[in-house]
Amino acid sequence: MRNKRKNAARLALLNAAFILLCLVTLVPVLYALSISFSGQGTALSGSLSFLPKDPTLENYRAILFDKPFLRWLKNSLILSAGTIALAMLCAVPMAYAASRWRFAGRRGMLRLLLVLNAFPQVLSMFALFRVLRLTNTLNTHGGLVVIYAGSMCVFAIWNMKGYFDTIPKEIEEASKIDGAGDLQMIVRIVLPLARPAIIVTCVMVLITVWNEYLFATTFLLDSQSYSLAGGLYQLQSNDYSRNWSVFTAASMLASLPLLLIFFKIQKYMVSGLTAGGVKE
Amino acid sequence: MKKGIALLLALALCLGALAGCSQPQSQASDPVTGPSQGADSPDTPKDPVTVTVWHDGDEGIMQTIADQVNAQLADDQITVVFEKKTDMPNQLKLYGSDAANAPDLYFYAHDVLGTFVAMDILAPLSDVIDTSVLADHLSMTVEAGQIGGTQYLLPVYFETLVLLYNKALWEGDIPGTTEELYDYMVAHTDAAAGTYAVVNQHTGAYNVSPFIYGFGGYIIDEDGKPGLNDPKTIEAAEYNRKFGALQADGDYNTVTTLFNEGKAAAIIGGPWLVSGIEAAGIDYGVASLSDIKLPNGNGLAPFSGIQGVGVLKTALADKKDAVAKVLTAMASPEVGVDLANKSGCAPANNKSYDDPQVASNEMIAVIQKTASTARPMPNIPEMNAMWGPAEAMLTAINKNGADPAQAAADAQAAAEQAVADMQ
Amino acid sequence: MKQKLRWKPWLYCVPALLLILIVIAFPIVYTGWISLTNMNLYHWADYQVIGLDNYVRALFKFDSGFLSALATTLVWTVFNMVIQIGAGFFIALGLNAPGLKLSRVYKTLLMVPWAVPAYISILLWRVGMFNTEFGILNKFLSVLGFDKVDFLASNAIAFISCMALNLWMALPFMISTIDGALQSVDTSLYESATLDGTGFWVRTWSITVPAVRPIIAPAAVMTTFITFKQFDIIYLLTQQRGYMTGATLNTVITYAHQNAFASNNYGLSSAVSMLLFVVIILFSILTNRSLRED
Repeated sequence: MRNKRKNAARLALLNAAFILLCLVTLVPVLYALSISFSGQGTALSGSLSFLPKDPTLENYRAILFDKPFLRWLKNSLILSAGTIALAMLCAVPMAYAASRWRFAGRRGMLRLLLVLNAFPQVLSMFALFRVLRLTNTLNTHGGLVVIYAGSMCVFAIWNMKGYFDTIPKEIEEASKIDGAGDLQMIVRIVLPLARPAIIVTCVMVLITVWNEYLFATTFLLDSQSYSLAGGLYQLQSNDYSRNWSVFTAASMLASLPLLLIFFKIQKYMVSGLTAGGVKE
Repeated sequence: MKKGIALLLALALCLGALAGCSQPQSQASDPVTGPSQGADSPDTPKDPVTVTVWHDGDEGIMQTIADQVNAQLADDQITVVFEKKTDMPNQLKLYGSDAANAPDLYFYAHDVLGTFVAMDILAPLSDVIDTSVLADHLSMTVEAGQIGGTQYLLPVYFETLVLLYNKALWEGDIPGTTEELYDYMVAHTDAAAGTYAVVNQHTGAYNVSPFIYGFGGYIIDEDGKPGLNDPKTIEAAEYNRKFGALQADGDYNTVTTLFNEGKAAAIIGGPWLVSGIEAAGIDYGVASLSDIKLPNGNGLAPFSGIQGVGVLKTALADKKDAVAKVLTAMASPEVGVDLANKSGCAPANNKSYDDPQVASNEMIAVIQKTASTARPMPNIPEMNAMWGPAEAMLTAINKNGADPAQAAADAQAAAEQAVADMQ
Repeated sequence: MKQKLRWKPWLYCVPALLLILIVIAFPIVYTGWISLTNMNLYHWADYQVIGLDNYVRALFKFDSGFLSALATTLVWTVFNMVIQIGAGFFIALGLNAPGLKLSRVYKTLLMVPWAVPAYISILLWRVGMFNTEFGILNKFLSVLGFDKVDFLASNAIAFISCMALNLWMALPFMISTIDGALQSVDTSLYESATLDGTGFWVRTWSITVPAVRPIIAPAAVMTTFITFKQFDIIYLLTQQRGYMTGATLNTVITYAHQNAFASNNYGLSSAVSMLLFVVIILFSILTNRSLRED
């Protein structure tokens, strides 16, 4: 009896702590949300309040229809899909090979990749410009996709290799007897088993592409072909004194797709992010 | 064997994904065409030409120029398109020599001119047009567009810092001396309540230049020697500190918003603020900084920036004629008149001032008056390396209470290092 | 068959290696090449090899200023990681407390910052939270009757502000990772421990922590790298041109950026980049000891 009451008190305390934590976490978001519904002029000033003054949808209308927001959204989706496809097509076979076969140079190569990945990418800008110029892919989404995929490739390989390590070999052996080829087996047996890791890797790639603005605004020249992050960066780079409320509306809209995806895949996130670390 | 084929397939898929991704791009990168593009009539045999201009300025100002130039060149089937590029100078460093993607022209203040000329990506104006089109231009603006005696920049308008004040908030006249101005600021600033008398970007070298040059100091001389530790510069920076203490954090967006929201009675700024101020519905007045005297008797002497167009070498190959026509149109007094009347910019072409509306424009009269004490920013390449150290010095003095002499010595060393690093 | 096995694994690696070669390896080699030339404003197109001169000059950039930046970077990395893992662990532990019905709701809400693009987060915090005139923190302080605080003005407070933002942006990932790890821990261990009457803290320390540690190690190492290389937060919050706030906080990357890239001397800045790369490799060797493969 006493224990029960103690437990209830503990739970109440925990709930209170979490409510407080969530509130603190959400302060910047609530702030942005409130500004995004505020009328012009009340944007930056105003008192400490999370309720918008003279609520309006004008900011959302402005960003959706006066700016190429939908175009940028579409570009972000294209870039994300392309990057995920390319990164996975390259990384899955290598992760599989590195996990399943012990071949000469394997360990050295995996370590070398980590070392190479330590080079800060901001410093590669000029060289990447040369690559794109040489291949005539400046100002194309394709060029950017290759860069994004390449920069996420090492992470993807490591993350998925870790997960593949945890899949018992016996399952594959069984399917081999059925006469399935390696690739067939990867597609039919390994990928479904590794689904959590695959999904999580894809999401990490997606987040990277969704966030990236520096390469997007440097290597794409036409404002119509910017990604969301790039477009918003260009929109707000130095002067946000005039359309802060429009910007907050845009940032809420830009966060929405990722939020929806997180909700959708939350249960996979859990096992996939971590199983990479499970070692036998 | 089978596995080999499967692998090849995987590779092909990779390549396919690549090709697939570049597909939608070709649509997306269709050039944004100006309005006159659609007005193709069958009886004009000439091919329409689009001249691209990169800028990093106010889109309203660029639109004003584009509208006037496009109207003048409609018969020639030439359209100018202004494209805004964040951090345009750095973009141009990458793309300047890339014929496929470089713009034909760029529009920017004259202080980056030396850098571009050193990189050898600009063509002298005389390669494209007869520079006699500049005969009617103010000599200060023409000279600012020259490097080593060669004209690279076609000046379009010039700007300088002025004092913009909110007529509803400012009490009495604008003081005639900086000391009186300071007294007014002390009496009318309540930082805790968030109301200010005068705001300024008090840690930015451009916005503190009125003090530095008014005191006789300098940021960098014509020979590329930094002057941050010049005793006069230090004196000016030290004097600026007490003003900075009453001017909020000095960030561009903070001070601009304070003024636009009626929380600051005056702001030191330029015509680029006007569209925002008007959108905020503020009844504003303009005063010249030259009329405000420093303790040494000199008027405040701000930097002036000459905004204009330069021609990329890569544009000469197949657009030379079109570029020449665009430049000639931009040099015309009409562009200046439109800019003055619509955006409050002071035209570089003297003839624009014959227009009665321009002649009676308060902002332009004040800018012109300030031009008497204003200094065109240096346009040597070394200037680019100076903004950072100068700002670091002012920030250290105003925000961290650093000893001005020490901050100046540090900044001077950093500036000299940066200049030396260029070679 | 044996013959086949020798080249087959490499064949599987070809697409990925090709991609990495182009996007990761080539820029490093190219930077190395440029570092040997005199490419700068005055030799933009007609640069030539000048040997190791740039390295001699670059070494001077690795002076006391660099050492203090390196120290800042290490402190920054350690503080962030300790707090991230510590806080992430306890929050995840709380989320998994038996009987907490709303845990899914809490978790979802705590994930929200993750969805906000990084650049937008930084700007939102800079203007919406830290600004002296419009920021929520200062409005809150003035409601309580305190003076305004410039949260980015001096090094100590700017460091804390940058860290708060970094934690806000990075914690969701950590919580999510540790939460997943906790759920994969064998619960039978707990049951026997509870029967034994062991207390919460002892149980956590002796069972949960060891069980979770190997699972979160890769994520922790990856995050350590990201934290070490963090550029945007400190740069955009305190030292963007025209927006210097007064803090002179530098990490190795912002230091290199400030000292080598402002001069448009690509030969010199490439040499600095290569030396910086060496520093980061040394750092990664130290960290990698905790990430043992096999």
